[in-house]
Amino acid sequence: MWQVASLALKNDSFPTAIEAIRAIPDILGDRESLINILASLRRMAIGFGIAVLISIPLGLLMGRSRAVAAFFNPLLMIIYPVPKAALMPIIMLWLGVGDVTKTLVIFLGVSLPVIYHSFEGAKAVEEKMLWSGAAMGLSPAQRLVRIVLPAALPEILTGCRTGLVLALITMITSEMIARQSGAGNILFNALDMGQYDTVFAMIIIVGAMGICLDAIFERIRARLVRWSEPQFDMPLSFS
Amino acid sequence: MKVVPSRSSEWVRPVRPQKPASAIIEIERVSQVFQTSTRKDHVALSDISLTIDEGAFVSILGPSGCGKSTLLYVVGGFVSPTSGSAKIKGRTITGPGPDRGPVFQEFALFPWKTVLGNVMYGPRQQGVRATEAEAQSRALIEMVGLKGYEGFYPKELSGGMKQRVALARTLAYHPEVLLMDEPFGALDAHTRTRLQNDLLNIWERDRKTVLFVTHSVDEAVFLSDKVVMMSTSPGRIRDIIDIDLPRPRRRNELLLDPRYQKYVVEIERMFDESDLIGSSS
Ligand SMILES: Nc1ncnc2c1ncn2[C@@H]1O[C@H](COP(=O)(O)OP(=O)(O)OP(=O)(O)O)[C@@H](O)[C@H]1O
Ligand SMILES: [Mg+2]
Repeated sequence: MWQVASLALKNDSFPTAIEAIRAIPDILGDRESLINILASLRRMAIGFGIAVLISIPLGLLMGRSRAVAAFFNPLLMIIYPVPKAALMPIIMLWLGVGDVTKTLVIFLGVSLPVIYHSFEGAKAVEEKMLWSGAAMGLSPAQRLVRIVLPAALPEILTGCRTGLVLALITMITSEMIARQSGAGNILFNALDMGQYDTVFAMIIIVGAMGICLDAIFERIRARLVRWSEPQFDMPLSFS
Repeated sequence: MKVVPSRSSEWVRPVRPQKPASAIIEIERVSQVFQTSTRKDHVALSDISLTIDEGAFVSILGPSGCGKSTLLYVVGGFVSPTSGSAKIKGRTITGPGPDRGPVFQEFALFPWKTVLGNVMYGPRQQGVRATEAEAQSRALIEMVGLKGYEGFYPKELSGGMKQRVALARTLAYHPEVLLMDEPFGALDAHTRTRLQNDLLNIWERDRKTVLFVTHSVDEAVFLSDKVVMMSTSPGRIRDIIDIDLPRPRRRNELLLDPRYQKYVVEIERMFDESDLIGSSS
């Protein structure tokens, strides 16, 4: 997005901030744009939701079972460095340019940080805590859900927060590659057609969406892990 | 009176002689060998045999690193011994169970639960109704001196307070055998004395079997029917001393009792003799 901005900066038709802001109500007022943006958000929510539902259990299992970790690690090591958007052309060949492809890309983008943080969180769970649970009669499955999950929650939510930002990024990139609908589609079509006020307005809208989602998520997170936040602020001295 | 080191498992309950004591825990030739990161074998426990009678208070005394915690974990079923076996009521221990309640050196409280939530966890897991579990737990919390802290999270407690919650949490599900790993090690002298008294009161009331790890000779003599002295590298049982002092024990009386003093002095001397105490923390 900032690349887009810097590209636009060189252009004569660089819109003033006021022009860009004026364009916002136009976009949000336009039925079709609104449907596009909502469709984007919907894909993002589904991709994020499925990713979290699959990645958390997988990460936790990997963290507590060497066999599961040994099985999935190589696979994840291969997927990890690949930019998920680069996979899009391949996925498009299989699944077309529709919702499924874009949601899948978002899913892939979100999964890795969530798996990684769930894995690390589960690995770090104090063994004696699990022993205490076992002595109380919790089965291995119950221990995973009722001890590993809550104990690893702060770490898991850190992963989810990264995942949420990545969901937004992959959502826009996927729509840039497969232009068919969505917020990214509006943005990049406007760029092609030189409607820079729309471009900037969309950047502001997408940015605001990101900030809002992150802020909402952060509130939920802080509430869920109140029990784990450090008690004292470490004073930092910059002398 | 002299301190008689004996390996026999027989002992007589001083105050209320009941039916002859029967073994609840039998540790048979247990050895535990750990692989260190340098791939060398490290013998933490070497050929330990020990019988603990039902309702007995047995302390394990020994220098740091002699395998006290490891022995407790074997009885708890948390680790399986490299060789040998441990039995509870004749059944070989293959895993943890609610009949054996551990109180760990590291507390291991559930940080996402409040004090009340931690203490209620065991009874709830055992199917006790919420209202009932809560009432029992509140009483236990009061007993360990934490009334008013029910809604606190573990991070908001001091080390000693955490230890008391850990004790209450384990007592809450009524294990037949308590496995306590230096439970009072982290406490200040005052709280320590209070909790020792409380523990004795509870114990004298329901006569749970207690396996109690400690560094402190006074504590071991004050609380126990039997003191198991271990020596280090490899961890072995050095002596088993029956503490033949009357019960119920009152601290102020006992401290003046020459028999008590003699036990303490003798055991400390035995420690020094083989320089066992050297590296103890
Ligand atoms: N998981 C492990 N892997 C390797 N070595 C271990 C492991 N656990 C314990 N040991 C070793 O076994 C020995 C006994 O340890 P243990 O924790 O049982 O001692 P301890 O008597 O409880 O000591 P302390 O009084 O300091 O708690 C130590 O030398 C320790 O290094
Ligand atoms: Mg120990």
